[in-house]
Amino acid sequence: MSIGASINARELTKSYGGGAGAFHALGPIDLDIKPGEFVSLIGPSGCGKSTTMLLVAGLEPPSTGSIAIDGKALTQPITEVGIVFQDHLLLEFRTAMKNVLLQQEIRGLDRAESLERAEHLFARLGLVGAENRYPWQLSGGMRQRVSIARALVHNPSMLLMDEPFGALDAISRTQIRHDLEMLWLETRKTVLFITHSIDEAIGLSDRVFVMSRSPGRIVDEIRIDLPRPRPAHLGEYPDFAAYTKRIYSVFEKLGVYKFD
Amino acid sequence: MSVTRAMSAPIRVAARIAEPALWFAGLLLLWQVLVRALDVPLFVLPAPSDFLLRIVTDHQRLLHEGLITAQLVVYGFIAGAIPGVVFGYLIANVRIFEQLLYPLFVFIQGMPKITLAPLMLVWFGYTTFPKILLTALITFFPVLVDSVAGFKSIDHRLYYLSRSTGASWWQTFWKIQLPSAAPSIFSGFKITVVVAVTVVIVVEWLNSNNGLGYIVLRAMDAHDTALIFATLIVASAIGVLLSYAVALVERIAIPWRRH
Repeated sequence: MSIGASINARELTKSYGGGAGAFHALGPIDLDIKPGEFVSLIGPSGCGKSTTMLLVAGLEPPSTGSIAIDGKALTQPITEVGIVFQDHLLLEFRTAMKNVLLQQEIRGLDRAESLERAEHLFARLGLVGAENRYPWQLSGGMRQRVSIARALVHNPSMLLMDEPFGALDAISRTQIRHDLEMLWLETRKTVLFITHSIDEAIGLSDRVFVMSRSPGRIVDEIRIDLPRPRPAHLGEYPDFAAYTKRIYSVFEKLGVYKFD
Repeated sequence: MSVTRAMSAPIRVAARIAEPALWFAGLLLLWQVLVRALDVPLFVLPAPSDFLLRIVTDHQRLLHEGLITAQLVVYGFIAGAIPGVVFGYLIANVRIFEQLLYPLFVFIQGMPKITLAPLMLVWFGYTTFPKILLTALITFFPVLVDSVAGFKSIDHRLYYLSRSTGASWWQTFWKIQLPSAAPSIFSGFKITVVVAVTVVIVVEWLNSNNGLGYIVLRAMDAHDTALIFATLIVASAIGVLLSYAVALVERIAIPWRRH
């Protein structure tokens, strides 16, 4: 079992452009995520959720503030990470398995060991039989499952997911949410999960951070104390209704929703 | 539709070739009959039997000169296509190249470059070099444009992924960028290689003592239209064969493509 990384961000801000035309996109925010924790960021479009993820990955530098991964200051892109975007971003010229094994090729990992891990992930993600298919031969849900396998095959300590199920239909989303939870329970990587969906955030997370828009700030933090693995139909927990209500009320206060 | 599906693959291919071939044969037949019926003089318009016969009788000469032309096409094409892909990559990926070179290239692209042929001959004399250079120049731009489009079409988030794997420049280029851009690059190749045949023949008209363009020029002086037609057919065959050769290389190089 791998050990998840800790993420600590202090006074993080991000602005694009300079001078009078500068756009203040994010922050300041503080973020403390414990090793092996599953944390969601939820908020309206343009609240800086995706930016936060890129900053944590070291793929974009923050304008001010600092990030530490496992206590070490972040200065360049971290490689001990798997990233999943809303679009599968699979290479169309590689089969599902070869897309996953790209990680092994680039990182120079042991081939047999990676193949074994990949096969295990394919089994856990319901991808058996899809190994030699090209992305265009797979359904949207299958493609996203392959991109999750690609993000995990090198056994990273951290998984960053930017609306990974955003483009999927509701039925696929529920299944893939469960499969991801089961994988997480098995490996306990630190997960930063970015979503628009209140159900997804509550269904998966240990903690949910609610964000406001322009500039993006964390306005609420909710600890989700529901047993795991969580069922498809979360409504059977009375607490679920309370969590949902709380997130909606934050959104209403922020003006995200205007219901008269 | 259901009949076609029931047929086996070789028969389907034969059927696909047979239909246009029959149309073509019918057209030639009509041509033959009209020329003979209207008694058109040979130097105005030869009947298909006249120029098809010329291909047979003059096959040695046509083959010899055809190979000279084909060789120039291949050299010129390669000399233009490789820099086209290299500059396409640079313009798509390096901002300074895009800012400095792309406007210049777009300007030159709009110029009828074939008009440079006389100038090239003045500069470089009656050698093969100006022919290859001009063919390369005319090949370069369309390949460049398709390469830029191919490299630019790559989702920028793929670069986030490659950086998070710690990929080197070479790994990113070889495993992600080049194969992603390959279909676009090859579609540029396939169109351009046919244009290259035209360019070589035009330059051969201007200066040569060999090649298919030279045969056409001599045949024109002699009002030998049957030979002109025979040469045009050989030139077309070269264009088609080279285009198929590129398509074959494409199938080998990027077998994943949905053909």
